[in-house]
Formats: sequence, C-alpha cells, structure tokens
Amino acid sequence: MRVSTSWAQQQSVGSMMDRQSDLSDLNTQLSTGKRINQPSDDPVGAARALDLSHLTSDTAQYQRNITSANARLGLEDQSLSNTSDVLGRVRTLLLQAANGSQTDETRGDVAAEMVQLRQQLLGQANSKDGQGDYIFAGNRTGTEPFASQNGVSYVGDAGQRMVAAGSGLQVATGDPGSAVFVDIPTGNGTFAISADPANTGTAVAGASSVSNPHASPSAWDGGSYSIVFTAANAYEVRDSGGAVLDSGSYDASNGGSITFRGAQVAFSGTPAVGDKFALGASTKQDVFTTLDNIINTLRAPNGGGAAMQNNINTQFANLDQAIDNITRTRGMVGARMNALDQQSGLNDDLTLQYKGALSDVQDVNYYDAISQLGAQTTALQAAQQTFTKIQGSKLFDYLR
Amino acid sequence: MADMLSTGVSGLLASQIGLSTVSHNVANVNTDGYSRQVVSFGARLPEGQSGYYVGTGVNTVAVQRAYSQFLNSSLWSASSGQGRATTMVSLTGQINNQLSGSTNLQTSLDSFYGAVQDMANAPSDAASRQVLLARANGLATTFRALSGQFSALSGQVQQQIGDTVDSINSDSQSIAKLNGLIRSSSATDGTPPADLLDQRDALVKKLAGEVGVSVVPQNDNTISVFVGNGQALVTGTEAHALATAPNIYDATRQEVVGAASGNVLSGRIGGGTLGALLDFRGNVLDPAQAQLGRTAQAMASAFNAQHAQGVDLQGNVGGTFFNVAGPTVQGAATNTGSGTVDASISDIGALTGKDYVLSYDGSSWSMRDTNGSTVPLSGTGTSADPFKAAGLSLVVGGSAGAGDSFRVQPSRNAADSFSVAITDPDKIAAAAPFTVTAATANTGTASPSVSISDGSNANLFNASSIVFSSPTSYSIDGGAAQTYTPGQPIVHNGWSMQLSGAPQAGDSFSLQANSNAQGDNSNALMLGKVANLGVLDGGVTSTGRAYSQLVSQVGSAGSLAKDDLTTQTAVYSQAMSSQQSVSGVNLDEEAANLLRYQQAYQASAQVISTANSIFGALLSAVRG
Repeated sequence: MRVSTSWAQQQSVGSMMDRQSDLSDLNTQLSTGKRINQPSDDPVGAARALDLSHLTSDTAQYQRNITSANARLGLEDQSLSNTSDVLGRVRTLLLQAANGSQTDETRGDVAAEMVQLRQQLLGQANSKDGQGDYIFAGNRTGTEPFASQNGVSYVGDAGQRMVAAGSGLQVATGDPGSAVFVDIPTGNGTFAISADPANTGTAVAGASSVSNPHASPSAWDGGSYSIVFTAANAYEVRDSGGAVLDSGSYDASNGGSITFRGAQVAFSGTPAVGDKFALGASTKQDVFTTLDNIINTLRAPNGGGAAMQNNINTQFANLDQAIDNITRTRGMVGARMNALDQQSGLNDDLTLQYKGALSDVQDVNYYDAISQLGAQTTALQAAQQTFTKIQGSKLFDYLR
Repeated sequence: MADMLSTGVSGLLASQIGLSTVSHNVANVNTDGYSRQVVSFGARLPEGQSGYYVGTGVNTVAVQRAYSQFLNSSLWSASSGQGRATTMVSLTGQINNQLSGSTNLQTSLDSFYGAVQDMANAPSDAASRQVLLARANGLATTFRALSGQFSALSGQVQQQIGDTVDSINSDSQSIAKLNGLIRSSSATDGTPPADLLDQRDALVKKLAGEVGVSVVPQNDNTISVFVGNGQALVTGTEAHALATAPNIYDATRQEVVGAASGNVLSGRIGGGTLGALLDFRGNVLDPAQAQLGRTAQAMASAFNAQHAQGVDLQGNVGGTFFNVAGPTVQGAATNTGSGTVDASISDIGALTGKDYVLSYDGSSWSMRDTNGSTVPLSGTGTSADPFKAAGLSLVVGGSAGAGDSFRVQPSRNAADSFSVAITDPDKIAAAAPFTVTAATANTGTASPSVSISDGSNANLFNASSIVFSSPTSYSIDGGAAQTYTPGQPIVHNGWSMQLSGAPQAGDSFSLQANSNAQGDNSNALMLGKVANLGVLDGGVTSTGRAYSQLVSQVGSAGSLAKDDLTTQTAVYSQAMSSQQSVSGVNLDEEAANLLRYQQAYQASAQVISTANSIFGALLSAVRG
C-alpha cells in the first residue's frame, strides 16, 4: 500500500502523543496514589468509593458518639459512686444510732451528721455534667431536678437520653432522677410493715420476706392487712375491714416469725395486748424522705424504745432499698459502658474493613502501576526511535 | 517528413509538465486535503506515409488528482464520528472534573449528619447547635456550587453551540462559493480544476467534523450538502444558514434551527461537534442537573419531614429546615390561551429525573415525558382533585387554548435554590413533642408512639388522656366513645397515636407536651437516621445514594465517551490511511518521478541537439 509521507508522520506523532497521555495518566495515578481520579476512570468504582467513604465516616461518627456517651456515663457512675458512699455512711450511722447504749444527745449528734449527709446527697442528685446539664433531670436538663423546699420534690421528667452507637444500636446515656432517687420501693420491695404509734409493748418488727410468691391463692396478694396481738403470745391477722383472716401463736424465743399469705415477718420483744402492725403493699418513697424520716426518728425525744426501733427498722429497709437501687443503677451504667466498648471494638473492625474495601476500590496498585510505567516508557522511546529512523531515510537524501 | 525537432520539443514540453506536477506534489506534501496529481500522456497522431506511419511525439492528455469518491465519503463520515467523540470527551471530562473536585456532596452530607449526631449528644449545647447550622449551610453551599458548575457548563455548551453554528455557516458559504467556481471552470475548460476540488473536499471534511452531513454530487460538478433530516446547507451556489433560537418553553435555552424555515433541528442533528454538544446537553448534563435536583429535593423533603416531628427549644413544632424550589412549569411561547399550571411534588418516592410536557388538545389534557412516551394522568386537574402522575400533583387553571402545552421540570431548579431556612440555633427541633405515659395499672400490651400529623393544630399541645373501655373502644378526655381498629392510629388535636400491642379494657394513656425538655434528643436521633433513610425511587434510595448514582451516571458518560473516542480515532485513522494511500503524496515516489521526468527531459533535449547536428551536417554538405 502506498504510504503518504505526511500522514505517516502525523500518525507517528499521534502515537507518541498517545503514549505520553498514557504516561501522564500513570503519573497522576502514582502521585495521588489513587486509581480513580475522576468518576469516568471507573464509574461503578467511583460510586462504590463514595458509599464506602460514607460508611467509614458514619462509623467514625458512631465512635465519636460512643466517646461522648462514655463521658456522660462516667460522670453518672462517679456521681452514683459518691451517692453510694453517702448512703453507706448513713447506714453505718444508723446502725450506730440504733444501738441501745445511745442517748438522746448522741442520737442528736448522729442526726446532725445525717443532715450534712442529706445535703451531700442532694448535691449529688443535682450534679451537672461538663456542659452544665443536670445529670439526673431526665430531659429537663436545664432545670435543677431536686428542689429542696418542704422536703425534696423532683421537677425533672422520666426522659432518658439515648445515643446512636452503631447502625441500629441505641444505648441510654443516663437515668432520670425519678428512677434513681425517687421511685424506690419501701419495705422489702413487696410489702412494708409499720408499727402502730399507739403500741405500748416492746414488740419490734424485724426482717421480713416473701415466701412462695407464686403459690396462689395463698401467695401475697398486695392487700392491706394488720397483725394484731391479742395476747403476748397470740396474734390475729385482720383485713382492712377488720375481719379476722388468720390467727396463731407468737413465740419470741423461737424466732418470733409470723407468716401470712406468703409474707413472713420476724418479731422480737413482747407485745402488749392490742399492739398493731400494719402490713401493706410496698409503695414508692424517695431517698430524701427516707433520710428525713431517719433524722426525725433520731431527733425524737425520749427515744430508744420499741417505737424508735420499729421506726428505725422500717427506714432501714427503705434505706437498703435505696442503696440497692443505686447499686442496680450503677450495674446498668456499667453494662451500658460495656456494651459501648464492645460496639466500639466492632466499629473499629468495621472501619478497618471499610477502609480496606475502599483501598481495594480506589487505590492504585503500585506494583502494577510501576511495571506499567516501565512498559509505557519503553513504548514511547521505541516510537521516538522509529520516528527518527523512518524520517531519516528518504530517497531525496541520495539525490545529490 | 516527421519533424524530429518538433517531436523532440513535444517530449521536452511533456517532461516539463511532468516536472511541474512533481514539484506541485512535493510543494503540497503537507497541504491538508491535497490529492496528489498525476500526468497522463498520449502519443500524438502519426503522420501517414504511403504504407506506414511515422510518430510525431507526445501530447499531455491530462493532469488529474488521484482520488476515490468512496474513500473520501468514508473519510467524511469518520471525521463526523471523530469530531463528535472528541467534543464529547472534552465535555464529559469537564463535568467529571467538577464531580471529582473539592465540592464533594457526600463529604458535605457526612459532615452535616455528623453535626446532627453531635447535636444529639449534647442537645442543649448552643455550640453544637451552631455547628449544625454551619454545616447545614455548608451542605447548601455544596448543592448550589455543584448546580452552579453545571449551569456554567450549560452556558458554555450554549456558547459553543452558537460558535459551531457560525462556523458551519461560514463553511457552507465557502463550499457554495467553490461550487460556483468549479461549475464555471469546468464549463470553460471541460474538466474541473483539481485544486479547487481538493479545497472543497477539505471544507466538506471540516464541515463533517462540525456536524454530521450527507453529500450528494450533482451533474454540473457541484455538490449539495444536507444536515439532519434533509435540511439543506448547500445547494449549488446557495448556502442555507443555520441559526440558534430560544427554546419554545425556555427562552434561556438555545436550539438549533434552520435560519429560513425556523424548523427546530436540535433533536435531529447527529455527529460532529454540534451533534456532541446537543447530545451532551440533552443526555448527560440535563439528566445530571435533574439528578442533582432530585437529590436536593430528597434531602430537603426527608429532613424537613422529620424536623416537623420534633419541637425546638421554645417548645414549638420544628419548622422548615431546608428551603428548596418545587417543580418549574413553563408555558410554550406559542400558547394561545390563558391557561396556567401549578405543579408540586406529591410523592417524593415516585419522582423521576425526567421532564414532562402537559398539553391541552381543546378538550382534555395529556402528558408526555421527554422521550415522547405518554404518562397516564389520574385526577381531574382541579385543586381539589389535581392531576397526579410521576410523583407530581398538577393543578390547571385559566382557560388553555387547543394545542397549548406546558413543560414541567420536577427538579431542575431544586439544587440551585437549596438553602437553610433556620438561622436561630434554638429553632432546631431536637426534642420529641410529647411524652406519653401508659398508666401503671394497664393490663394490655399496647405501647404507644405518637407523631405529629398536623403541626398547625392550635390544640396540639393540650394534655389528653385516652381511656379504653374495651379493646376496641376508647374515649379521649371523657368524650364520646370511639371505635378502635387495631393497627389504625388514634388521631386527635393534630397528633396521631399508633399502638403496638393490644389494649385491654380499663387501660389508659396520658399525653402531654414535652415541655422544658431541652435535654431531649429523641428527634435529633431520628434526624440522624435520615442520612441512611430511603427516600427516592419508592423509598429505596437515600440522599447519599442518589449522589453516588449521579457520580456513576456522569462517570459512565465520561468512560463511554473515552471508549468511543478510541474507537472513532481508530476508524478515522483507518479511513485516513485508505484515502491517503490513494491521494497522499509520497516523497520517495515523487523523487523517483523527478528522476524519471528529468531523464526524459534530458533525452528530449538530446533529440533536439541531435536534430540540430543532423541539420548542421546537411548544411555543411550543401556548402561543401
């Protein structure tokens, strides 16, 4: 075939241009480290890279959320720990005060310390986080949740803040004050027992428990009953209408236990005839009321008798419920932090996986690219040499 | 007797013409479109003697260009293909650059939703709310920047369309002029002048690179050039200009028309730079703008909807968070009636990236999409019962004339108008609007969730209590008993309560405004989830996915254009090689021809010299 001199030259130049353009592409790939520098380099890969980088930043945000949630839970845990300490101290003092060797005066001293402790407790319940938000206010974080005026009232709400810790996983980052300090069951959590203030005997209601709670119909049914001592060694159980439901003998030397409808109460001391103890379903009492009750009991003049013991025992049960509640809440906080840690580990794994996938999609394979670079350079040099060779051999050169 | 001298001279002259032609070929070795010329010789008529003939020398019969109509035609068509592919690569390259640059919507979306979650972690913190607003503005800026870049590209394409049309017109005129010269020269000389033909062919090739043309040779050596579906560019010595004219619906958009006829040719032009420009505008840029707009609409619609489900720091229902333009309706310039069309989006999930034309035939309305397929309309077009199709709700008003039409672009201007409606950080609705408490004595399994169904209801935040008198009957605030159908929401005062589980007789729920709850992040968490919420395409495609679709759509166009350029370049190369193998100048060949004619010239000179010496010998013999 005839070859046109000018076209042949243009084609040689064109092929050199092509090689140079390939080299320039390779140069861009090598210097950016990316295989996809424009969507058109790999349309599907470019879209996939966007999705993957979105997933990566989603996960990074979850990690940020977890950090912030951990900080919040850490503060709550600290505050609960302090609360626990305060209540522990209250319990120790109460044990001391309940001792028969105490006098009105020493009990007054104990009560004075308890007033301090109550203030500390209030401080903990009203503690704030780093942003000035009240920790135990539910969602009303801008308002002091526990107002101390004629007793303590809770003005927060029952809201619980959540945090997104992973796709589809939300973890609570707080507990409302109502659940921590207010809604604490009285007595043993099922029923509470209290002595009639008019009692004259020395009978004191001690530990109570619920046996076979599920054995209907003899199980505890949540009603209001009273245990009335008809003699120093006999009792009757009456319902709220005064009807006698059960009766039995009481023997203080043999544990003094009275069992009725699954409720078991250990009595000690000697009741006077007509002494009454009310037995009712457990209600809710906030920890400040419990403390106030304890303080009032300790401050009561001419204390030390069975009435005081009964009162102390009642509030002791309530105090223990409060301590249990704090401990349980701390347990939940710990469990949440644990869950967050686990999720954080999972998020780390996911991030690694997404980044690996992202790198597979968009990063240049250096071995490949460098070997291509060599090949393309050789091709360009070959094209250049061929051009000079061909251009150098012309018949006109010999016409001299 | 045969004249040796004149025979020699004829050889000398013939060789001279040969030499001139070789020189002409060599001189034009790099002339674009030049066809090498070949001299053909013929022996002169012999002189008859009695019984035999004596030759009288040589005649130059013709100087012709080496030429093949077939190869030239295929070169023109390859040139069209290559012109188109080259322009397409450059245009798609630009739009790809725009999407690979710093204005990456996905990054903006991620940092915006990151700020939403940061705000959820500290809903009462003014700083986190402020950052969220700043990021929202950043997102809006990205939408507008991308849209601005697309618009700039669109303006550039428009400019290039105008320039190309000008260039086509000037080439058509030159071809028409050459047609005239060639016709008159061939009428005088009998044969058309090779160099003029070459010039005309080169112009046709250039024209073919600008727009796909068909060429029809005429008997008088002129050619006619047509474009599209038979719109003439050149007939004989007459050039017919193309022009640009505003689109019938959109005066800012230029279409290619026949200057005399006014016929719109835009849809019928393929090939060449102009074909690529129109194709790019219609099939790459328009869909990209629509997809970006759709993304903006999805973003605004989904986020606003969730935002309206919360309350802000002042306890008010969340207002519009992002502003975005609705569909654009443009009446045709030719409309005769006073009809109007109002379009709004009724179902974001059914929204497409297409444009629609709504036309009135004098008695009824019909709708077609840009591809010309009919889209069925439901409804009657009144504001009470609007036309519904493709996620749009259309209300027609006024009195449209028969043949009037309106173009509806659902999302063309959405990205451009995307902005943040909120300036006060306190107005971000992070909290849930209500707290609902189930009575502790409830025996059923029902657990309530409440959403706002009408945020403008004046009694929205009134406290209510819902008491079930039986599993299928309830009353609100002691009102009349109402029937409860499991699965159906209880709607009252602008809220809607959905129960999961079954209520029992005596169960009650109390609902009140979630007042003073500045630490509540319930709605903020839901806002964060909008990031991955399916919105478009029937609730499948999230905003981020819609953007990746845009990227992949634009990337595919770019990659296709690159592949096409490779193919078209190969086709063009092949056509050029074939054409050049016939018409191209080869210098080695010309050098050989130079030697050939030089030798012939020298030989003819020798003949003359010999004739001279013979004549000299005769004279000296006579002088004797």
